[in-house]
Amino acid sequence: MAIPLVPKILRSHLLDLASKDERIDGRGRWEGRQTKLEVDILPRAEGSAKVTMGDTIVYAGVKFQLMTPYSDRPNEGGLMCSAEVRPVAGRNWEPGPPSAESIELGRVVDRGIRESGCIDVKSLCIIPGEKAWQVILDLFAISDDGNLFDAFALAAIAALKNAKVPCERFEVGQDHLLEVSSMPIMCSYHKVGNRFVYDASKKEELGGDERIHITLGEANHVHSLQKGLKGIFSADEFVEIMEKAKDTSKELRKLVNSVVGE
Amino acid sequence: MGGYGDIKMIDENGLRMDGRSATDVRPITIETGVVPVADGSCRMTWGTNDVIVAVYGPMEAHPRKIQRQDRAVLDVRYNMAPFSTTDRIRPGFNRRSREISKVTADALASVVLLEMYPRSKIRVEIEVICAEAGTRCVGLTAASVALADAGIPMTDMVVSVASGKINDVVVCDLNKEEDNYGEADLPMGVLPNTGEIVFLQMDGDLSPEQFQTAWDYNVNAAMEVHKIMVEALKNGGAK
Repeated sequence: MAIPLVPKILRSHLLDLASKDERIDGRGRWEGRQTKLEVDILPRAEGSAKVTMGDTIVYAGVKFQLMTPYSDRPNEGGLMCSAEVRPVAGRNWEPGPPSAESIELGRVVDRGIRESGCIDVKSLCIIPGEKAWQVILDLFAISDDGNLFDAFALAAIAALKNAKVPCERFEVGQDHLLEVSSMPIMCSYHKVGNRFVYDASKKEELGGDERIHITLGEANHVHSLQKGLKGIFSADEFVEIMEKAKDTSKELRKLVNSVVGE
Repeated sequence: MGGYGDIKMIDENGLRMDGRSATDVRPITIETGVVPVADGSCRMTWGTNDVIVAVYGPMEAHPRKIQRQDRAVLDVRYNMAPFSTTDRIRPGFNRRSREISKVTADALASVVLLEMYPRSKIRVEIEVICAEAGTRCVGLTAASVALADAGIPMTDMVVSVASGKINDVVVCDLNKEEDNYGEADLPMGVLPNTGEIVFLQMDGDLSPEQFQTAWDYNVNAAMEVHKIMVEALKNGGAK
């Protein structure tokens, strides 16, 4: 992504708002934008979801392929997660090979899902050493108005939760739902005007500093963390956002359950 | 073009597998303003095709070497999302999407008044989210609507429709099965106000009579689709 020049005036405006404990779009410090989750919307994908957070819109699609298990793990299938932010999503996203930003996006979401163990890769094995499923999760941004990380992570888990393993098409048994045993949820915090806020918009991302992504699983187990961009934060600040993430992830988990079913 | 003539795709009453007559197009919906951060955008569903187009610009063209002193450059990209088809597509450009991007750009450059914006660039991003058959037609048609939504002056909107041949019968707007087993495909881009053509491709096998029928089907269908496009733009309103 081409980083546009950030006018000093935007930074100082955000700093000014922060001193009054306000945000540029009138939200509270820990308040997310209105979030809408739709699932099973793409007939060609085995599982799909669309997340709308304010003006940020992303899709997730799950596809299955047959693979030969790796020789050192003959009883395991595979899980692959890739994120693409194509130039459709905003005027600063450029065509070409995946940018460092979109690779980071894909990898951070991938880690949260992989490390939570919500997909049991052993259950993806069909014939040990010969045949196994590879689950491919593709994340696709349509409109970037900030915080693609959380939008991608939410779409990812929702798409996995409604994914159907296409056994009949590959002639290896009967179609069944993909087993997803837990629900990792990501919450991202940006430093804007020298304090952390939840769910930053594009303007806050541009005029802000570092960001921290926290993925929490069931019972608030931590599954992935990532600090991005230039900036320094204190241990106290981290404790504060970690507490907030526990509350927010509970709310988001409720949202996913209400749409996908438990 | 498979040419599996033994699979029966048209019944005794001349109806197709999905119940359409030879001249019927699949159901179409158009919605504008679906990409809030873009200058103009459009989502078009056509059968189970689902295409999103965003338009950015006119804006500064950089690097400077791509600038034209007398007109804007039109930068068109057609892409299929990895999960848009039955078998996953590896992300990134391939020869097919390059070609479709090029012919789409050529068609759009014939109607957009590029001379009004010298030294600038207009970006058209066509993303196929779900593919059935005829995605290039949906992409080109949706791109016209998105350009109109962005308020970019054009002499006309391009309406693109394809006709083809199944079981030796010419039919309009092939669906997935018909496309897989079809014997010919004739996608066209029509300007509804004048009946002129800005986009034309063809592959397969058509007799001169069949070719004329397919051509007429396309032009007639384009007029119908045009009404839906105009209606969608009226409902969406200007930005």
